[in-house]
Amino acid sequence: MASRQEQRELARADRERRDAEERARERRQRLTRLGTGAVFAAVVVVAVAIVVSQSGDGSGGDTNLEGVPSVKSELRGLDQRGLTIGDPNAKATVVEFGDLQCPVCKAYSEQVIPQVIEGPVRSGEAKLEFRNWTIIGPDSQDAAKAALAASEQGRYWSFITLFYRNQGQENSGYVTDSFLEAVAKGAGVEDIEKWNQDRQSSRWDAQIAQVDTEAGRAGFSGTPSFLVEGPNGRKALSTPGSASPIEAAIRGVS
Amino acid sequence: MVGERTLRLLGAGIAVAGIGVAIYITISDAGGGAPACLVGGNGCQTVADSQYSHLLGVNVAVFGIVGYALLLLSTVARGDAGRFAGLLLALVGFGFSAYLTYLELFVIDAICQWCVVSAGLMTLLLIVNAARAIAYVGAELAAGEGSGA
Repeated sequence: MASRQEQRELARADRERRDAEERARERRQRLTRLGTGAVFAAVVVVAVAIVVSQSGDGSGGDTNLEGVPSVKSELRGLDQRGLTIGDPNAKATVVEFGDLQCPVCKAYSEQVIPQVIEGPVRSGEAKLEFRNWTIIGPDSQDAAKAALAASEQGRYWSFITLFYRNQGQENSGYVTDSFLEAVAKGAGVEDIEKWNQDRQSSRWDAQIAQVDTEAGRAGFSGTPSFLVEGPNGRKALSTPGSASPIEAAIRGVS
Repeated sequence: MVGERTLRLLGAGIAVAGIGVAIYITISDAGGGAPACLVGGNGCQTVADSQYSHLLGVNVAVFGIVGYALLLLSTVARGDAGRFAGLLLALVGFGFSAYLTYLELFVIDAICQWCVVSAGLMTLLLIVNAARAIAYVGAELAAGEGSGA
């Protein structure tokens, strides 16, 4: 029979074991509560952040423009006259038929046109011209006229390039007066009052209609399409896919 | 298991590095440019120009500075409050970094190296803070049994 001393020691050891188990259980419970709470709170916070981040997706028309500095950098030092950009004496002219609401045109503006600019335009082999082929909807006409008004102040290509950077969803109504004015200001149009008057002029209607006729004559079926013209001929390219066919055409017509 | 003091110091060091990266990205954006990509290419410019580089009109790197600063503070806070705060902040930071990385890979189609660095730092912070929480939550309940703080 265990002595009283041994019984007390056994009881204490048993108590300590139960206390340790109790503390371990409380720690596990606390970790579970803390972990669950942290995960739940994190999911909520991240979900809210994602929803806020996505809330501007595809809607465009945000007057808080993106890409103003990079557009300035991309077109730095190039001569913008009327509808063209680049050396006015360049032998070849690359004419792009595009719609400012066209998402494929936006992709070309961001991936193909910069290569053409850095290559044959900066080297003086070619100049670029953009013609507004307004095929997507009525807002395309408003955008086109705003761009053409910017051409009166030598900011046409800056306007078009910045517009594409901030393009919204087709025909979603993002082409508002405030959006167009933000793009004009970001493009460096100096006299906004004159620009506003010019863009509402009806003199652009005939010019825009003429572009549709030219596109039809060239056999184009969609945007963007390109006409490369030079002293040795002209070449029509429908959505060429990359800068290479355009550069090859420049060499071919020069 | 690594001592909690070591985990807190590690977390502090990573958070300071994160603050540095986030400040660099913020300053680059404020200067009208984009962070310089170290090995050429224009991925950083493309990402900086995208609509996803800003949240509520504020560069996401600013949120990164705040997040990393709070994570740094959590390494100073002792007890379960500090462990919970660190874990929560690291989970939020990791979750949002994962979302931004998804956008780079599948939406913007461009990679910004500095964003990758930040995502890597946030992943490390999640590991450190998770380890701290799992190993040391409730350590004060077992006072005197080697809390490792």
